[in-house]
Amino acid sequence: MADQAISVSSVFKTYGKVVALSGVDLEVPKGSIVGLVGANGAGKTTLIRLLVGALRPDSGEIRVLGVDPFAHKRKARSMVGYMPQSPVLYEDLTVLENVRFFGRGHISDDVDQKARSVLEFVDLRDEADRQIRALSGGQRQRASLAATLVHEPQMLFLDEPTAGVDPELRHTFWQRFRRLAESGVTLVVSTHQMDEVVHCDRVAIIRSGAVLANATPSELFSSGGATVRVHRGGDMVEQRLGSLSDDLPGLLHNFGLDPSVTRIEVQEPTLEDVVLSMIGREGDHGSK
Amino acid sequence: MGPSRIRAVARRVLKQIRRDRRFMILVVAAPLLLVFFVKTLFDATSIPAAGQERFVVPFGAYIVHFATFILTAIVLVRERVAQTLERMFVNGYRQFEIVGGYLLGYTALATAVSTMVLVALQLLFNLGYDLERLAELFIVIWLLAVISLSMGILVSNVAQTEGQVIPFIPLVIIPSFLFSGLMVPVDSLPGWAQVISRVSPMYYANQVLQGLVAGTSLSSNPGAVLALPIYGIVVLGAATFTLREHS
Repeated sequence: MADQAISVSSVFKTYGKVVALSGVDLEVPKGSIVGLVGANGAGKTTLIRLLVGALRPDSGEIRVLGVDPFAHKRKARSMVGYMPQSPVLYEDLTVLENVRFFGRGHISDDVDQKARSVLEFVDLRDEADRQIRALSGGQRQRASLAATLVHEPQMLFLDEPTAGVDPELRHTFWQRFRRLAESGVTLVVSTHQMDEVVHCDRVAIIRSGAVLANATPSELFSSGGATVRVHRGGDMVEQRLGSLSDDLPGLLHNFGLDPSVTRIEVQEPTLEDVVLSMIGREGDHGSK
Repeated sequence: MGPSRIRAVARRVLKQIRRDRRFMILVVAAPLLLVFFVKTLFDATSIPAAGQERFVVPFGAYIVHFATFILTAIVLVRERVAQTLERMFVNGYRQFEIVGGYLLGYTALATAVSTMVLVALQLLFNLGYDLERLAELFIVIWLLAVISLSMGILVSNVAQTEGQVIPFIPLVIIPSFLFSGLMVPVDSLPGWAQVISRVSPMYYANQVLQGLVAGTSLSSNPGAVLALPIYGIVVLGAATFTLREHS
């Protein structure tokens, strides 16, 4: 428990008659990057807003760094940073003014120095004095990330930080997330870009308001199994294996190294295929 | 940390006001134009110039009340829609710091509006007040302006969208005009209307202003004078208490 940055147990949340979360359980180890993956409307944003204390759960227990984020908002929020889905910033203020303003909520000393240092971290030092309205989409996302990081939180909740960001910047973002994790920060990153799950230490898959799986990418990958096609004579036998490394020897043994076997094809799903098959395609009704 | 965060919100609000020149000019110029309209109206009546001041000074105060109330009613709800209000909360700002910062920032604008309207009244209507009388009038009109800003924040807490603010504007502004003693004495209104009149800050402001234009000083009517700040504290408390992170 002490090594868990987040502990969520049996959490339910409804909006009127709409069930957003139906019994979520989740544990996140300190210093890790956890990807929150699910279709739009699966409950990712609701879960993040519960974790930052912006919403109260209908039932269940939530602890973030040992603190109930709704009951003890002030204490919890001094330790966490939250980056909303869209870059929520003041358009008529400069990048530096925005970062300083949001930083002042938690810190009173060296705000200017900390703001400049975080702008360096997100590569926006040269844009510090430009108004937000004059920035590109990617620059706005970086400015929003800077406003999230300025008070040096130990825990980060990033709600689709790479949405609408070009592939090069996405790569840079994930490099920065890794650097933060290496410095001991815990990151929860929601995404529906399936290829991004490889950057995570763990992946929590959310479907219809519940966590279907919480595993490492390699565990998820190996749970995907494989399809083996054995061509013998003019025939082809196709067999699905639960685990390629465990089940392939048995399969080959069945064929007894028969010389009529001319070709063996092994088709493994990608991690993206595995995750996609788990989250399903339904529930695409907009984000909650 | 509290006062420094209040100052941070106020500084940010002032920065935004300064950068929107058109907004700033309109906020100050529109009340002046309305004072000119009042002058045009009174010129067309048979009320002698000497008897006009008991109407025109409260009218000027009413214009300030209207202009300042709308300012905060719209701006804070815009923050809610843009989610910057939620981000402020998540980034550690508390209710009283946000409300206090807004009030402080917009009070600068309200002070400018109060001053300009009072000067316009003095010059356009040749009121001939000395500095002491002008200072007393300013205190009352300025207090009314600050209370109106608080009322705007309170209304913006109830509304969830900018569109929802619109129905509240006539609901606050029109009874203020009709029932505060500007048009007819409050005593001659039916009982239920007198209750409404006491809910409006304009009622208390009008009572004090009527005394001032009649030649009495602020100190001679302490009950009515104190009513305004007490009313302001109650509204400010309600505005702070009802400011929610979420609907």
